[in-house]
Amino acid sequence: MATSVAASFQIRFSSSSLTSHELCHLTPNPNQWRSSHLAKSYKFVTSIHRPLKSSVVAPMALGAKQNTSQDTDDMYDDLFKKYGKVVYKSNDKKSPVADVDDDAECLAFAVAMAKIASDVKGGDIKLLFVKPLVYWTKFFLITTAFSRPQIDAIRNRINDLAEKQYGIFATGDTKPNSWTLLDFGDIVVHIFLPEQRELYNLEEFYANATLIDLPFKNENNFQR
Amino acid sequence: MIQPQTHLNVADNSGARELMCIRIIGASNRRYAHIGDVIVAVIKDAVPNMPLERSEVVRAVIVRTCKELKRDNGMIIRYDDNAAVVIDQEGNPKGTRVFGAIARELRQFNFTKIVSLAPEVL
Repeated sequence: MATSVAASFQIRFSSSSLTSHELCHLTPNPNQWRSSHLAKSYKFVTSIHRPLKSSVVAPMALGAKQNTSQDTDDMYDDLFKKYGKVVYKSNDKKSPVADVDDDAECLAFAVAMAKIASDVKGGDIKLLFVKPLVYWTKFFLITTAFSRPQIDAIRNRINDLAEKQYGIFATGDTKPNSWTLLDFGDIVVHIFLPEQRELYNLEEFYANATLIDLPFKNENNFQR
Repeated sequence: MIQPQTHLNVADNSGARELMCIRIIGASNRRYAHIGDVIVAVIKDAVPNMPLERSEVVRAVIVRTCKELKRDNGMIIRYDDNAAVVIDQEGNPKGTRVFGAIARELRQFNFTKIVSLAPEVL
């Protein structure tokens, strides 16, 4: 789904300069990603078929109406099938099989990193599959560390594993920070101190993401 | 194209509403800042009863500009407003949520934290 959303972005951008202006009016609502993203991709359909725009629906109504019902989605589906045409398609789109393989590989890597975080006694480790929600990454690994030396330990061990076994180098924080972020591309590791974990509350923000069960015991009740 | 004296909206829930750029961080005599650049700014307007107050000096990252952002593949992104996110010295955002669409270039500039708090990434 995420790749198709990315593809629809490509289409929109290439279609006209008018769409780039519309981008700043996107409504911020990650939880209704499906309806909003679909609405966006269909906006493109209406923009390439000007006569359609006036007859079907006012384009601003799409952004305003967040509770886009299923019927509207279906209606747009039909319209897209009937009138829509792809003017540009990026060639970097993978086949579904390759995509699944890629996801599985990332999952293995993420679980290995979660295991390391658990070994260094990181608390409340959560692995979220965020690929359906955001296009820019696949997994979020969120963990709590209780001191900066511990953050440093988790960071170093994860970096070592990534470099030695997978040949990936992380970007992100280079020093232990109250919110340390390691960006491996498809996996983003967040290491928080307990206060920051509560403050930023990333799990709530990505509440719609699938929580992946970890194959080891997750310690939630560490004392500070 | 943000320069000293430019007023910017605040795109987070830190408590500031409006900033004025007073310095661009990076080079000694840099004229303009673009998306992903860090600026020093003064808070011109703030929400009452929040930790940040008017006339406080803060650091901020520019997340939206009226000046077009060009990508290598030919995409051009232009926003309706100039907006920034307030950060602390360590680079952590002072607010806990970011509002509005932001560009993915921020990730390349090592502001993945802001990207991960944003509702929409272009």
